[in-house]
Amino acid sequence: MNPFAEFAQLFIDALAQGSLYAALALAIVLVNQATGLVNFAQGGMAVLGSYIGMTIGNAFIPSVGWVPGIILGIVFALAASVVLGGVIERFVMRRFERAEEDTKVVATIGLFTLLGGLIGLIWGFRPTPYPFFIGGSESFWIGGVAISVWSVVTFLVIIALMIVLQILFRGTKLGLGLRAVADNASSAALSGIRVGGMRMIGWGLAAALGTAAGILLAAKSGLSPNNFDGILVYALAAVVIGGLDSPIGVVVAALGMSVLESLAGRYVEFIGHDLKVVVPFLLIFLVLIIRPQGLFGRRTVVRV
Amino acid sequence: MNAISNWSANRGVRLGAVLLLLVVLGVFPLLAQDYVVTTVSHIALVAVAILGLNIVMGYTGQVSLGHSFFVGVGAYAAIIPIRDLWGGPLAEGAIVLGFLLSALIPGVLGLLVALVAVRLRGLALAMVTIALPMIGLPLAQRFSEFTGGNEGVSIRRLSYVGSDGETYRGNPFAAPAGSGLANDQWQYYIIIAITVACFVLGYFLVRGKYGRAFAIVKSNEAIASSMGISPYRYKVLAFTTAAIFGGISGFLLVVWNQFTSSETLAFHHSIAYVIATIVGGAGSIIGSILGAVFYVVVDPVMNGLQLSIYSAIVQGVVILLILFLLPGGLASLPRAIRRLVRRGRTGRHADAGPEAGSASVTTKQ
Repeated sequence: MNPFAEFAQLFIDALAQGSLYAALALAIVLVNQATGLVNFAQGGMAVLGSYIGMTIGNAFIPSVGWVPGIILGIVFALAASVVLGGVIERFVMRRFERAEEDTKVVATIGLFTLLGGLIGLIWGFRPTPYPFFIGGSESFWIGGVAISVWSVVTFLVIIALMIVLQILFRGTKLGLGLRAVADNASSAALSGIRVGGMRMIGWGLAAALGTAAGILLAAKSGLSPNNFDGILVYALAAVVIGGLDSPIGVVVAALGMSVLESLAGRYVEFIGHDLKVVVPFLLIFLVLIIRPQGLFGRRTVVRV
Repeated sequence: MNAISNWSANRGVRLGAVLLLLVVLGVFPLLAQDYVVTTVSHIALVAVAILGLNIVMGYTGQVSLGHSFFVGVGAYAAIIPIRDLWGGPLAEGAIVLGFLLSALIPGVLGLLVALVAVRLRGLALAMVTIALPMIGLPLAQRFSEFTGGNEGVSIRRLSYVGSDGETYRGNPFAAPAGSGLANDQWQYYIIIAITVACFVLGYFLVRGKYGRAFAIVKSNEAIASSMGISPYRYKVLAFTTAAIFGGISGFLLVVWNQFTSSETLAFHHSIAYVIATIVGGAGSIIGSILGAVFYVVVDPVMNGLQLSIYSAIVQGVVILLILFLLPGGLASLPRAIRRLVRRGRTGRHADAGPEAGSASVTTKQ
């Protein structure tokens, strides 16, 4: 194969994979902005949302046809995720509002375990195919380069979702409220914003974003309960590298990390396919040594 | 009730209780059934790992999601020198070497990770340590000439060359011929001796100067710095200690099972350690043992009840319930019951009693 074609394929596939990391990382940042914690169950929630989409999709496809069935599944999955995120915030995490940071983390780990068990119980542990417009194997040709349709679609959909979120945050009253709560919850409450409601919306939006990424991943490689465990690690790495308070930072970090990992795995002899997972880890270490607040994060000063 | 608490506070009585416990630990394997002995050994070696995690989580307030990495690395660090050197000129020295490496290598790795990861406040340690098992697993599989890959390393029937030049097969942790002990009893004594030593060390660590420093770092880092206690240094210290205890637990796992594989590093074990630590009681020495009992017993019990598919759900629900209702874990159960009893008694006399109590709790938060 000609070297340029291979490079182009690698690059585009890495961008698609990176956009999955970016979606989950952005969901984690959203939740952190809304409630000040890092949600280790974010991946599990995404997988649960995807399973709901699969079940609804498969149930409707025989009666309404392939395309409307898939769309219904996606709409249901996203709506269910918003509700699920809000409910989990309201009835589980709200109870830990004043708890120590480490208690909150452990609570989300408990949630992660619980969701994983629940998914396994309902849908089983074996991978199942997800009904979707495209699979992982179709590709088209541009100037002698085969490009995966899935990669292009995934990258574009996730970037589009991020733009929509950005518009929501910057251009709407709801976004203003969300930002106010993230910035300073008590003064937001004083100016009449319903802090609790905003937090539920923050969790719901994050869950829906995660589910969108979950469905795209499932379209390529099927659904299984631990689909997002690996991606969660990359997303967290992106959050550390990009900075917990910087949505753009984590997206750039996620895409950059994925591309770097893929290229290092292919072109650096010593690293190879097996060891490329080490690349993001080394990146984290470098960033923490040079800029502990993340590449794009702001240094926070704590006054006593 | 007062009499009981006075009695349990008496130093002599406490010392007596500890001695009694040691005697029981020493005698019981001679009387109990095999599977009880192996189960207690398993609980003991898991308790060492959880004690380590408790030092970093319970006492210093930092969440580590990479503890299984240190246990797994400790197990490899122990089993590889034993596999390669036992029966050779080093003879039993290979086991000692394995033990030392199982503490040293995880300790050094833990120190390196902590020096970097502790630089960020709050959740960075959790976010960075989650990567350790995720990366350790493929690494262990890649370097399979050392680690045996997915097959793992077994030293149950290790071949070695005897002094007469013949090749024999043997188990480095079989009971010595003259001892009259069964293998599992012999392994039990090795495990329990090291476990007791670790708990004594851990007890003095968290009770002494370092323990007080950990507690201040946990409650308020700014105050700690103003008192000349560097939060950074003590968090690194706590994490390194945790890694060493994790590594020693890995050595004990090798004593117990004479086998390890890359599965020992897997992420789900890390989660199970975290859950066990909280269920047992964060910041409690006894809690580490109770947590280990939970860790070891929950799966067989769920299997026995034909409920193993609910295992993950039960673990998730248990951890959330404990966090809601009993944040001190099982170790705080006696205290919680005593408080309930006392509140029930005063509540009947005066209506204001319990309300005043709950008000003071909310202001404290």
